[in-house]
Formats: sequence, C-alpha cells, structure tokens
Amino acid sequence: MVDRVERLTNLLALLLETVEPLSLTQIAGELEGQYPEADLARRAAFERDKAALREIGIPIETEVVNGGPYAGQTRYRIDRRSYELADLDLAPDEMRALQVAVAAVRTGSGLGQDAIWKLGGGIGDERPAVSAVVPDRPELPIIRSAVAARSPIEFSYRGARRRLDPWGLLLRGGFWYVIGHDHDRQGQRTFRVDRFDEGANGIDVGPPGSYERPPSFDPRAAFPADPKQIGHTTDEGIEAHIRISPIRAAAVEREVGSERVVARDEDGIVVTVPASNLPAFRSWVLGLLEHAVVLEPPEVRAHIVDWLTDASVEPMR
Amino acid sequence: MSGPRNAQDRLRRLLVMLPWLMEVGQVPLADVARRYGMTESQVQKDLELVAMCGLPPFVDEMIDVFVDDGIVFVGIPRLFTRPLRLTAPEAFSLLASGRAAMELPGADPGGPLGRGLDKLAAALGEAGVATLPADTSRSDDTAGVVVDLARPALTDDLAEAAASGDELSIAYYSPARDEVNDRTIVPRHVFVESGNWYVLADDGRSGERRTFRIDRIESAAPTGRAMAVDETVAAPERFFVDADVPRALIQLAPDAQWVIEEYPTDEVRPLEAPVGWLEVRLPVSSDRWLAKLLIRLGASVRVVEPDDAGAAARVLVERVLANYGQT
Repeated sequence: MVDRVERLTNLLALLLETVEPLSLTQIAGELEGQYPEADLARRAAFERDKAALREIGIPIETEVVNGGPYAGQTRYRIDRRSYELADLDLAPDEMRALQVAVAAVRTGSGLGQDAIWKLGGGIGDERPAVSAVVPDRPELPIIRSAVAARSPIEFSYRGARRRLDPWGLLLRGGFWYVIGHDHDRQGQRTFRVDRFDEGANGIDVGPPGSYERPPSFDPRAAFPADPKQIGHTTDEGIEAHIRISPIRAAAVEREVGSERVVARDEDGIVVTVPASNLPAFRSWVLGLLEHAVVLEPPEVRAHIVDWLTDASVEPMR
Repeated sequence: MSGPRNAQDRLRRLLVMLPWLMEVGQVPLADVARRYGMTESQVQKDLELVAMCGLPPFVDEMIDVFVDDGIVFVGIPRLFTRPLRLTAPEAFSLLASGRAAMELPGADPGGPLGRGLDKLAAALGEAGVATLPADTSRSDDTAGVVVDLARPALTDDLAEAAASGDELSIAYYSPARDEVNDRTIVPRHVFVESGNWYVLADDGRSGERRTFRIDRIESAAPTGRAMAVDETVAAPERFFVDADVPRALIQLAPDAQWVIEEYPTDEVRPLEAPVGWLEVRLPVSSDRWLAKLLIRLGASVRVVEPDDAGAAARVLVERVLANYGQT
C-alpha cells in the first residue's frame, strides 16, 4: 500500500488535470494499485480521501450523470480556477507588514500563519513590543463568508431561532458581535457570537446575493450605546455637570476630553457630559462610586438619588 | 520544533511549500525547514515522496524536485504552481489579525499594512472564498471584519518606553485599596486582551515583573534612566486564570441583561419566576467590583451568592448617598 500522502497527491493531481469529470472506477483505473480492489473497501478509502482533501480546503466538484448507460453515476473533478489563490499582488513591504501583524496578534488558531504561507510569506521572527490577543471562534469564518457573499444566516440565540442578514463582524471589549438586519424583529440587531446556542454547527447559511448591505453601514457606529463612549457623542439634549474627586480626576479628564472640564480646583474637577441616554449615563456615573457627584440638572441628580435609595432597600436582601 | 505529521497536514504544508519552491528554484534545505517550522528530515522525506507522485504518462516529471547535499532543486513546474486559495478560517484569521494590528499604537493607515489589508479585503470580499454578485461588494472595504481596540491615551507612551527601555515614574490607581500610589516601572511589553490594555513591566517597588492596567495609570513621566530592551518578553500565555477568581450568583431583570453581553459568565439560565429574569454565575475580580456592579444595576438585580455582597454594596451606597446630603 502506498503512503497516504502519495495517494492523496495523485488523486489531487488527477482531478486537477482532467478535462472531463471522472467516476470512481475511472479514478481507480488511473491510480492503478493505489485503491483496494473490492468495491466497498475502495469506496470507503476514496470517501476518506475526498473528505481529507475537502477538509484542507480543496473544492472537489461532483456531478451526477443524467441518462445514458452511466445514469446515476457520480463523477468528480476540481476546477482549477476555484482551487488557485487569486494573485493579491502584494508588494514586499505589504507582505512583511502582514507577517508582522500575524506575529503581533495571537488568535489561538495559528491559521493566520497558514494564510501567510499561502500568500508567499514566511514566519515572522520579529517580537513586537506591542501585541493583541484576539479571540478566534469557529462561528466567525462562517459568518464572515456570509457577509462577503451577502448570504442570510439562521441560528438559535437564547432559545429563539433568529434570521439575520449579517452586515458585519465587530470585535469590541474582547467580544465578537455580528450586526445585521433581523427578519423577525424587522430591524437592526446585534448578537454576541459566543452566545450562539449551538455554536458553528447551528448556523444555517442561505443563498449568496440575497440582500444589499446599506452603503453607509459602519459597525462601530451601529453598536448599542456604550457607557464608556459617553462624552464622545455629539447629540444635543441634556448636559449634566458632575464633580469628580481628585483621585479619579485625571482618568476622567482623559476619558471625556479636557474640553469637557468646566471647573478645576483642589476638590477635583467638574465635567459636563450628555445625559440624554439616562441608563448609560447612570451606569457611567455610578461606576465612579463616591468619586462622582451629579451637581445638575436637578432631575438627573434626583434620579441618581432615587436609584441609589431603591438599590439600597430592595435588591440586596 | 515539530512539524505536521498526519497525512492531511503534510499535504497541506506541501501545497504551500511547492509553489514557493518553484518560484525560488533552488534553496538550502535548512531555509525551507526554518521557513515552514519543520525539521530538515521532515522536509526531505515529504519532498522525496511527492517527487514520486504523478500520473501516467507523466510519472516522475509532474513534480520535478530533488534534494542533494542539503540543497533543494526544483525543475520546470507542471503542477501545483499556484497556492491553494485561502480557506474561510484562514481568511478570517488573517483579516482579523491585520485589522487588530492596525489598531495597535504606531500603526499607519496609509502604510504597507493598510495597503496590504486593502488588497486582501478586495480579494476576500469578491472571489477569495465566495462567489459574489459583482455589484454588491463595492461599498464594503472591510470584508466584513472590524476590530475596535480603543486604547487609553497613555498606551502609546508606554509602548514607546517598552521599545526604548525607558524607565517611567507612574501614578497608579488601585481599585482594591481605592488609592493612587507613585511607582517606578520599566515597561517591557504592552498588550490588549478582553478589551483592556495592560503593560507588563519591571516594578521598582517589588522588584518583580508585574502587569498593570493602563487605564488605571494616572500619569507617566520618564525618569531619565534607561534599561536594556528585553526583546524576549511577550504577552503572558494565558492572562486570565478564571478558575482562581471567586464567583457570584446573581439574578438579572430584562433591562439588566446587558451584563451577560459585557462580562464573561460561567452559566446563564432563565428563571421560572419572575418571568424574563436570568440567573447568572460570573467571575468577580474584587468585592468592590461586584458591589459597583450591584449599584449600577439597582433594583434590576438580586444577589444570591456570596451572602455578604449585599452588605458590602450597601456600605458603598451609603457613602455615595452621603455625597448628595442623604443618609
């Protein structure tokens, strides 16, 4: 029996070179002596090889013969155009920059390195002084391909089946989110990818080209109100004044920007930030605990006092 | 160094190695091994094997490669001249890494990485992994992946110090003790994980290498001293040892369920009553952090465990209310 790598290579070469799709009988004939003689054993060995090639990303096409003496027979080939990597035309410095990027970012899978090799790069031996840890999950390539192909996806999320036109993936705060148009809720929705109930196996991908992505869509802007982004919004509405004690003053000034500091003395600073999104505002202020006091407007100040009074009575037995 | 040894992985590696070898024509075996993270004997064995592959009547000339005296020679290529296209996971991983690197201090959007990513995005948005109607990709230069690693302002200074070996004097806020202390550190490596930026540094006070959260560094100034740069330092393999962190069990009303989107959790289960509430077990980095979370959630949370969390939060609530003249 030949080494399995040899048989796989020969099978790959045969299916790439052939003009007409080939049946298993023809394949076994061409690769004489490499597949078992007995029908069942031969079929089993071939199925294993086919699965192995597909697993490393080789696009084996199948067709079933219609009519004639071989009606019903399955035939196989590989289309060279879908096998070969398109030439990205990367300049040497661009290739090197991608290599450094892969060295500086740890994803857990190591697949970025395989991609670099395919593109003609090597192993980056540089050790950057800065690095990022980016979580890799099996759902992500499926969703990204769906976004690129404009395919709808279906998945189950917190016990409910969701149908989504995915517009993009966003990594923020250490988590991956998919944002898109939710068919059942008739609106834009955001889902955390690691919360999909059945993982990658539970994602059904629909036909490509099924929808258009809004031209102006930007995942960064589409994300729900984030308390940490407070102060960066420009919407008009309620502005609240908050006194920040000296111990947190420098950090808060960096966060909201110096232009939002309206007073400065030995008791710290007073900043003005938008409070139109009351839950986000409250969450941010209370996150600073005793180091932040809302000075005005009175209704926002009263809201914080009420919230704290309720919190201290009811929930914590 | 260990190479891929099962048949699938060996073939996968060969299919990226052959097109490159055909391009360079002749190269020392040691270079091939280093480039692909394999041993020389693994490379030699696989190349000799693949040289025997072929189809009648082209056996022996399909893949014309041999190793002689430590040099790999490749003849006129016939097959496997182009690499296999990127798989969906490879494409995603490369895009995500590239986009994350663009978010690191010092990245230049108009530089080689930016240009390389644009080319990659164009290929992957169109034909790289999926066939796509030509007109729908035009407006999308992200290829579906956006990475946001927003960083505190001091991050760039710390990264620069790590690259130059400069010693810094910093003011560091400790949330556990609720105080700011002055320390002297030599930054060694800056990294971002789970949405937070950290600097791994030699701490003058303890004499040990410590990890500091950058958003808790209030100020940083060079002391004028510089140490030798340590290029061997990388981000810790696994920074969050979740198992060592104590857990809390809390119940969340529907309007508080952003918590499970924002923080890591061990367990989430719906409650029978009240309808719509969830019971959640999650790691708690400090008592103060939990108390703060409970206060932010107000009446929309109930704490089951630990027993004393409610009391700790109540003490903090009293302290905040005192600021408003309410006790």
